Amino acid sequence: MNLLLVFITIAVTIGAYLLSRFLSQRYPHPLVNVVFLSTAMIIAVFMVSGISISQYQPGQNMMTFFLGPATAALAIPLYRNRKILTENLISVVIGIVSGTTVNMATTVLVAKLLGLSKVTVISLAPKSVTVPIAVSISQFLDGDPSLTSVFVIATGILGTFLTPILLNLFKVTNPLARGIVYGTTAHGQGTATALAEGSVQGSMSGVAMGLAAIYTSFAAPFLVSRLLG
Amino acid sequence: MIHWLRVIPQITLLWVIYQSGNFLAKISHLPVPGNVLGMVLLFILLLTGVIPIAWVEDGADLLLKHLAFFFIPIAVGLMQWIGLFELSGVQLISAIFLGSSACILVMGTVSKIFAGIRSGKGGI
Repeated sequence: MNLLLVFITIAVTIGAYLLSRFLSQRYPHPLVNVVFLSTAMIIAVFMVSGISISQYQPGQNMMTFFLGPATAALAIPLYRNRKILTENLISVVIGIVSGTTVNMATTVLVAKLLGLSKVTVISLAPKSVTVPIAVSISQFLDGDPSLTSVFVIATGILGTFLTPILLNLFKVTNPLARGIVYGTTAHGQGTATALAEGSVQGSMSGVAMGLAAIYTSFAAPFLVSRLLG
Repeated sequence: MIHWLRVIPQITLLWVIYQSGNFLAKISHLPVPGNVLGMVLLFILLLTGVIPIAWVEDGADLLLKHLAFFFIPIAVGLMQWIGLFELSGVQLISAIFLGSSACILVMGTVSKIFAGIRSGKGGI
């Protein structure tokens, strides 16, 4: 293991992250996405300087170490919004279960019908779930974590455009309902958009994002194996 | 300013909870990733008051603020898959688009039915 190379790859990652974060705060737009920008910058630097993905691995392992505790930390927003959750428990649960099930089933079936490979189809299944959990679900089902992370971000970007358009088209005006849909369809990126709409939408979206992640991790193994079988 | 003396033990506690989730996943044979059980475990510990939120709050907020950073290294693994996007980009976007649209429409419909039952006249 070349220590200098590990140090350089980590420095490149931190640099790309800080620069992308600065750009996304300066030009706030769903397409100016921190993860997309950083990933593109890092891949460009590695390709130009001839660094391979296997040389990135040691640094990768060190940086993703915090993803585990960060996932546990997702319980905090859920706990802070527990009041809005318990007051609307039944509609929240039915909404998330129906939406998430239809989402996964449609995505997997369309991907399968369009002839995408098995690894790709599995990696698509948890696309509406927040990245750290989607990645674990993907690994668990023998999908590819890097593919899943990119599908999740793409879903988040698409969801932030699509959700308000479809909700307005179908005249869904209830702020609670709008919040649940944002969080279930477009995870953290949807929650940011929901917060911009209003605080009720934002809290509800945060709750939905956490619960949808938990439900998906229980439902995905069952659903994916049946749809692919 | 971040108070490292407070944040470091808090992140350590979150790490212990995460590892407990992994341990639970292993002994229970539940087909669920350990980190999800860690999250559920922390939620239960907070609800029951075993862990006061002040014990983990600052560390959790710091990790969540920079959540994107921790999965950028995973996304870089995409380097090996660039060919897939050239070959099947349209199929991938179709699957993502149709799945998300179906989700929004079903949830919108469900919420309308619920609002109808509650108000007794249908529609919101």
